[in-house]
Amino acid sequence: MRDLFTGLAFVIAGIATIVTAQQFPTLPSLQYGPSLFPSIVGAGFCLGGALLAANALWNRRRVLAPQTSTEAAALREPSTGKSGLAMLLPPLAIVFYIFASGYLGAMITMAVIMFVLMILRKTVPWVALVASLIVALAIYFIFSHYLLIPLPQGVLLEGRLPWIF
Amino acid sequence: MDILMNGVGLVLNFETLLVILLASLFGIFVGAVPGLTATMAVALLVPLTFYMDTIPAIAAIVTTSAMAIFAGDIPGTYLNIPGTPASAAYVGESHALAKKGRAREALGINLVCSVFGGIFGTLILIVVAQSLAEVALQFSAFEYFWLAVLGLSCSIFISVGSRIKAFLSLLFGILLSTVGLDMMSGAPRFTFGVPDLMAGINFIPVMIGMFALNELMSYYGSKSEKKTISVVDNDSVFHHVPGHMKRYWRNMVRGSSIGTLIGALPGAGADIAAWISYGVGKGRSKEKEKYGTGNIEGIMDASSANNSGISGAWVPALVFGIPGDSITAIVIGVLYMKGMNPGPTIFMDGSGLIYALFIVFILANLMMLPIGYIAIRLSKLFILTPSRILMPVILCFCVVGAFAINNSIVDVWLMLIVGLVAYILAVNDFPMAPAILGLVLGSVVENNFMSAMLRTGGDLTSFFSRPISAGLGIAVILLWCSPFLIKAYRYLQTKFQPSST
Repeated sequence: MRDLFTGLAFVIAGIATIVTAQQFPTLPSLQYGPSLFPSIVGAGFCLGGALLAANALWNRRRVLAPQTSTEAAALREPSTGKSGLAMLLPPLAIVFYIFASGYLGAMITMAVIMFVLMILRKTVPWVALVASLIVALAIYFIFSHYLLIPLPQGVLLEGRLPWIF
Repeated sequence: MDILMNGVGLVLNFETLLVILLASLFGIFVGAVPGLTATMAVALLVPLTFYMDTIPAIAAIVTTSAMAIFAGDIPGTYLNIPGTPASAAYVGESHALAKKGRAREALGINLVCSVFGGIFGTLILIVVAQSLAEVALQFSAFEYFWLAVLGLSCSIFISVGSRIKAFLSLLFGILLSTVGLDMMSGAPRFTFGVPDLMAGINFIPVMIGMFALNELMSYYGSKSEKKTISVVDNDSVFHHVPGHMKRYWRNMVRGSSIGTLIGALPGAGADIAAWISYGVGKGRSKEKEKYGTGNIEGIMDASSANNSGISGAWVPALVFGIPGDSITAIVIGVLYMKGMNPGPTIFMDGSGLIYALFIVFILANLMMLPIGYIAIRLSKLFILTPSRILMPVILCFCVVGAFAINNSIVDVWLMLIVGLVAYILAVNDFPMAPAILGLVLGSVVENNFMSAMLRTGGDLTSFFSRPISAGLGIAVILLWCSPFLIKAYRYLQTKFQPSST
């Protein structure tokens, strides 16, 4: 069943790609403009998506037809929603980093993210605290001092960090 | 000879050797922790290699990937959970042996086979690549167009699972490759007014999103499990190795040959190489009934194959700039970023770079013996590393690594979006390797197509006017027709069978 929706999503994405590609400018001297490849990809999305959806429908009909409803239910694909929305934790943490690092600085933001994620997976609090602080410090030091990446220091700590950072 | 000495000099210096040592430890660690793949190890490593010279950077990637592929066998043996997908084919055999108290013996054989496979693949790389490069020098846009199309097609037809899904995954990668200013007209495509996207999508954040963030999301999406080791391992690591090697040397050679060949095919990496050679080994074995009950023979085929596949994947990557698997796709991205063009000229530039690369391969594989031995003895330490502490650390590395390439927060957004899409695709059983190949090869296909058309005034038949180009074109067409040809063949076979009997 999931394949049906994924297939339809690809068809919609394909149409959107083709429509967007048609707006690209064309040069009269070129037979094939910048819209050619995106349009081919869009057409491929439509074709592949439609095939996927059709296959899903076909399989569903074949599964449902000869069997009782309980057997068919057992054959249905397993649901992914079992563990709730926990898989969204990493993306949420990244969004938090993007918005908070400017104020808190990369080091504190990373420490907060790591501490919260460790606690959520039932790590002993003091282990989580020590581990997240040490690792955040290490990552910040390696990237900003050794690789010279300008990781945000944050408004909160601006200029107050020891010279080594 | 001077070039060879240059190459030796490039490798045998403190920096490169230190990088190889550290990368070995990193590779062993990542491979041995279940849930972290070799490709993820390489994707996380890339932001660091960005700040190294070319040879240490490539050495880090080669060493990490080889070590991670071997180390994937460690949790496979002890826990029946493959550390990397490349170990999945024979995890049943190794774990069955471990349950009989032969864990170290199984890992010892795995280690020796991995080293053998890696060196075998490297020797093939050395022998074949040089002569292929001479042929490749005569290639022009027409041949490169077909080669890239062939590579992309292989990634669909050799993938495990649904071909439609592999096709869609590939198109997703190609679509990403079209983002940015168009090569011919200079028109911005899919940039949505973001100036950072004008130069195109950066490989690295995409790879981190695809291979690391995606895995992290799967980890948090799954229920936490307590890892406990129930097997006893008091046996010797290398004691039985000579006996097994003497008895099953054919399996090692066969597994390595199949592995190198499959690794060299674009889109098919170490995992598929291991599955296929395990299957071939089983089919040709005299003791088929022993398979699945802890058979050394099955391990020897597949364990040689996955490491030789890693080396084999470098053949098309170095000679044509067409990656053989996701890891070499990342390497090609790194080489482009360093201003190097992977392709036949890399063999002719006289800098000794190619020899340095070969030496790195041999060295990395040889170092696997002592480091792998220590890793086997310390297996439990790796396996019991708590993921609940490790995963948040990896997440921070992902964020900082994506940011570090251009010092731009747009890249972090990019990693996030690609990671989310990759997760949705992965839970729906879409393979990821075609997407990454699409991203790397999409622009190769488009640029070569456009420059060929510019040269011939838009004449499409010119793609079949040169002999090699026509040959490659026909190969692509045959590959796309192969499912129908096979079906037609089977149909005819079943139709005519009753009348003949």
